[in-house]
Amino acid sequence: MSGIVVKNLCKTYKGSIEPTLKGLSFQFREGGIAGLLGPNGAGKTTTISILCGITRADSGSVTIFGTPQDAAHREAIKHIIGIVPQQIALYPQLSAVQNLTYFGNLYGFKGKALQEKIMYYLELFGLAHSADKEIYKYSGGMKRRANIIAAILHDPRLLILDEPTAGVDVQSRNLILQFLKDYNARGASILYTSHLLEEAQSICEEIAIVDNGKMIVHGNPNELILKHSQCSNLEDVFLHYTGEALRD
Amino acid sequence: MLRLLATIRKEWQLLLRDKTGIILLFIMPVVLITVMALIQDAPFRDYQDIKFDLLTVDNDHGKLGRYVKEGLSKSGQFNIIDSLDGQPLTAGQARDLVNSGKYKISIIVPQGATAEIVSNANKIVNDITKRMGVPGSLPVKQRTDSVNVTIYFDPAAKKAFKGAIHQAVDNFLTQVETDLLLDRIKQQLRRKDSTQVATSDSFSIRLQAVGLKELSTGAGKQLDIISNSVQHNVPAWSIFAMFFIVIPIAGNMIREREDGSLLRMKLIPGAYLDILGGKMLFFVGVCVLQFYLMMLVGIYLMPLLDLPRLVMGYHQGATLVVAIGIGLAATSYGVLIGTVFKTPNQALNFGAISIVIFSAIGGIWIPLEVMPEKMQVVGHLSALSWGLDAINDIYLRNGDIAMVWKKVLMLVGVSVVMLAVAGYIEKRRLN
Repeated sequence: MSGIVVKNLCKTYKGSIEPTLKGLSFQFREGGIAGLLGPNGAGKTTTISILCGITRADSGSVTIFGTPQDAAHREAIKHIIGIVPQQIALYPQLSAVQNLTYFGNLYGFKGKALQEKIMYYLELFGLAHSADKEIYKYSGGMKRRANIIAAILHDPRLLILDEPTAGVDVQSRNLILQFLKDYNARGASILYTSHLLEEAQSICEEIAIVDNGKMIVHGNPNELILKHSQCSNLEDVFLHYTGEALRD
Repeated sequence: MLRLLATIRKEWQLLLRDKTGIILLFIMPVVLITVMALIQDAPFRDYQDIKFDLLTVDNDHGKLGRYVKEGLSKSGQFNIIDSLDGQPLTAGQARDLVNSGKYKISIIVPQGATAEIVSNANKIVNDITKRMGVPGSLPVKQRTDSVNVTIYFDPAAKKAFKGAIHQAVDNFLTQVETDLLLDRIKQQLRRKDSTQVATSDSFSIRLQAVGLKELSTGAGKQLDIISNSVQHNVPAWSIFAMFFIVIPIAGNMIREREDGSLLRMKLIPGAYLDILGGKMLFFVGVCVLQFYLMMLVGIYLMPLLDLPRLVMGYHQGATLVVAIGIGLAATSYGVLIGTVFKTPNQALNFGAISIVIFSAIGGIWIPLEVMPEKMQVVGHLSALSWGLDAINDIYLRNGDIAMVWKKVLMLVGVSVVMLAVAGYIEKRRLN
């Protein structure tokens, strides 16, 4: 099957007794918007790192659009994925244009074509007026938007976002979510993690809830809500599966 | 190539916006080398052109006392002081003044010292002439006293300094004794010749048949320079400053790791080596720029501060190669520190302290030659000492690339090792 296929992923970090992933498996179809949800410490970030090839799994396999994520195909996978990390992975002392030009150059883009693309996205994300302002002078929402642009300069087929709307205002969140829908409409797949379950419910076609390094439930969010009569929204479903105990 | 050039441009943009970084890399080293050259000027002149006050007590009032005073005065290294407040200095005063540290040396020529030398010379000449059958004898003291010229040193005086003074006074004693002996021989020969043909020329004795001449060891053009404060401090502290590039590099790498830009770079197709290469090229360039800025300070600023002008030797190509080698070692060390440590604070503290230690043992603070033998062995393990040695080879010994290539190779070798260790650590971190 095409799309994102994760099978029996296991990972224990050095110095850690408890495994972070204990045979995690799920699959998302190509061309959709999928949500990887779970409480703190569930293993979401580790899973994303393994999907990107940044972290090696102890065992198990990952296939993205039919290409296995292994040493032989790591470079090929890099071409098809774009990642928006939780941190603002930009140089705070440089302006948005300088940052985006640099990352564009690293992808091999240059000259007028690159500058036009950067300006297009800056306009789209409402940052054109601050294009030459240093990133550290940006508001939280502006930083998040610039962070997304840096991940899509090479038009990835799969966009992975780790908490893309954390700490942003409603306006910025709406703009980001609208962009994700539009980008998905252009044929790209989106995998997204968030603690904002209402947001996930509104944009995700399928979700996987993971906890303690394992898959708990997988499916369409609305179907999952209907499946549990006592649940009126995705947050209820989430609490139903993961419990109310605090996670540290 | 695009990735490499883009990284160089990005580092340049980052540096331009980092005013503190620019001050740390360019302004602070200028201040450092200026201050160090100024404060170390006096110690470097110790045995060169600084004059010491020397207390002399001449109780002899004869030829020896005069010779010692005139000889030491002519050497240009001493101000002869033989009276205080218009009163002739006494042996007791001289000893107390030196003991209190107000003066470094005093020399006391005892009463009858010249008479003792004259008597000894007369005795030798009488023995010789008697064996030659020459009539007449010179007066000799019946009783031989043990006479010594006394030297008092400041208890804090360095051993080498004491040795030099000892040697000088001993030379004067030998000279006086030799002069008097020759004088007595001439007298006796004149007495003998007065009965035959008397010409003063016939008594000329050429004492020094073989002279002493100092020449430079350098091949080709000769460098007429001595190691002075500027000649040591400017290259030495420039190398020290170049190694301080470790701080911005390590900070830069840790920040990239913390804020996720490193992750982003590694997710972009292509070898990370291109990006690292661009980063290293940029910082090596900064190091070389720093080096030449410091050299300009040595050439143009130091003379304005009454310090000697820096002499850079005749092989500028070799200097550039050495500067690149030092820059490469410094940059690689920064990459290693930036990989090993997890926070900028750890990297900053370890980086700064380790450079101070490597520079201290590597002969940056004081020349390696004046360190204890065991420390010299340890010092030669410091990359900073290889760089300084190579620069000294070019600046002081008129060396060319053939003379310094081994040291440059050592700098490149240690850089490769540091980068390999950093690569291994990074790879382990991924797993």
